[in-house]
Amino acid sequence: MSRIKSHARKWAAVESVCALALLALPLTFAPTPAQAATPQRIISLSPSATEILFAIGAGRQVIAVDDDSDYPANAPHSSLSSFTPNVEAIAALHPDLVVLQSSATKAAAVETGLKKLKINVYLENTPNDITGAYAEYTDLGALTGHPSRTKVLIATMKSQIGSILSRVKHSTSLSIYHELDNTLYTATSNTFIGRVYKDFGFTNIADAADTADSGGYPQLTSEYVVAANPSVIFLDDGAYGESAASVAARPGWSGLSAVTNKHVIVLPQDIADRWGPRLVDLYKFIASSTANLAGSK
Amino acid sequence: MKNVSAAGQTISRMWNWRITAACTLILILVMGAAVSFGPIHISFQQVLRTLLDLPSGEHGENRTVILQLRLPRVVLGALVGAALATSGAVYQTVFHNPLADPYLLGAASGAGLGATIALTSTHHNIASLLPVFAFLGGVLAVLTSFFISGKFFAEPNTLLLSGIAVGSFATAIQTYLQQRHSDALRPVYSWILGDLTSASWSVVSWSAIYIGIALAILFSVSKQLDGLMLSDEEAFSLGINPQRLRIFAVGAATLATATAVSASGLIGFVGIVVPHLVRGITRRVTNRSLVSVALVGASFLVLADLGARTLLSPAELPIGVITAFVGAPFFLFVLRSRRKANF
Repeated sequence: MSRIKSHARKWAAVESVCALALLALPLTFAPTPAQAATPQRIISLSPSATEILFAIGAGRQVIAVDDDSDYPANAPHSSLSSFTPNVEAIAALHPDLVVLQSSATKAAAVETGLKKLKINVYLENTPNDITGAYAEYTDLGALTGHPSRTKVLIATMKSQIGSILSRVKHSTSLSIYHELDNTLYTATSNTFIGRVYKDFGFTNIADAADTADSGGYPQLTSEYVVAANPSVIFLDDGAYGESAASVAARPGWSGLSAVTNKHVIVLPQDIADRWGPRLVDLYKFIASSTANLAGSK
Repeated sequence: MKNVSAAGQTISRMWNWRITAACTLILILVMGAAVSFGPIHISFQQVLRTLLDLPSGEHGENRTVILQLRLPRVVLGALVGAALATSGAVYQTVFHNPLADPYLLGAASGAGLGATIALTSTHHNIASLLPVFAFLGGVLAVLTSFFISGKFFAEPNTLLLSGIAVGSFATAIQTYLQQRHSDALRPVYSWILGDLTSASWSVVSWSAIYIGIALAILFSVSKQLDGLMLSDEEAFSLGINPQRLRIFAVGAATLATATAVSASGLIGFVGIVVPHLVRGITRRVTNRSLVSVALVGASFLVLADLGARTLLSPAELPIGVITAFVGAPFFLFVLRSRRKANF
């Protein structure tokens, strides 16, 4: 029996020695200064960033884009994941700049890992408004060596969006409901997409349901939507099978004015969920799909 | 020294160094393989040379990949696996319950609540303290279970039930927080499924200290733990204070579990599968083979993590998916073959 005890003691000792030996390992490393040249091997792990990089003329410097980046068509598509990035898989392509979404799984750990490999990382935060999006354009323009072309792009977008909005007859009497999913999560006017609707002067039915801790994305009840009776319903969940027909079939929704007037509109999701230069197309889409309505009021 | 257990199985009560040596060898091989595989191709010989710090080893980027990305992850996997498997075995003995796992007394739900509070917090400083929050949450939940049940272990079932109640309560708050902060849903979810992606040497070093202390305690009392299989009177006659031993053992197991959870999230099934597996294969009372349980737990988790980072490569798969997907059918297989042997 005492033999057993001494074995256990030995084991504890062996283990602590192992632990100490492992702790000593990373000390053998010496960091070297990072390079400051214009990146020529960019990996974009964000569909929005991919669209921005190609629009500002940095497309030729991009060596790979993530599996969700589907625009532009000539982008170097890869199977790299934007949501669950793998440091080693990224490093295997030898990039010199990686655009990483801050919303990616363990983004901070991925960033740390890439920096250990001396790979520069641009951490992309989801912008809260179009100004935040332009700030990202400017950052990426400066980083990739295309600052002037970026300035031109931003100026063009501003004027295009301005002219679309100037042609729209503003009407605050138009109320809208933007559906994120069929459990009725929605976006208030304090979100990126909500601010787009606000630019058109629409009233967002979600605003009254916003609470301090919903982060701009409250979950509504069916009863609330029916009572609010929105004039237009924008479906951001068309890709998940929702349509004008499925909305009309929901209990109590058939009498909504958006349904009876056929103003249930499926949004082009890739444009509505991104903040790349195709934002102009989103403004155009909303303007054209509500043109009759806004005019009739 | 052979004994016949109630189930009719022949179980040896002696330490068997051969089994421990075999388990150690397996762990070394598994860890070697895990460090050698990844999206960047580096040969096994080169990995070995680099690990031994030979001049012919890798330099530059590949060296960083081996020593800074793969190795800490593999070592953390081994530590977490050893901690969860050993704690599971100890909980099963202490509670006389083959279904007991390290999360039994609310450690998982408490840690989950702690982590969710950190992740949904608007202060960046708090988010970086996630491991501390998870650790405190886990320990507090277990302490609350003890506190509610009154006399320590006077009634194990009361303790079990209060553990379940505390766990449900913590989960309720956690779910509420997570629903209110839909932007944090993704990190919370990935934390709950568990993963080792955030492994770095600093995480490895603090978890090695706590897990090392906890396992040293458990290994040193492993002989007395067998006494808990008997009635308290019989244990007393062997010179064991069962009450004190239980508190000691559960305390150490909770320390190991809370550390594992705060380092890697909730990785399920290791704590149940591995002790039963080792018991089934070695036909030994668990506590006598506690070191083997730790070694096999470490190998199991390192292998599971190897799958997590290579199966869907270049994406990552939550390790909890692998442990359950591989562990559950294997466990059922072992259960079934043992049932045949017994009846």
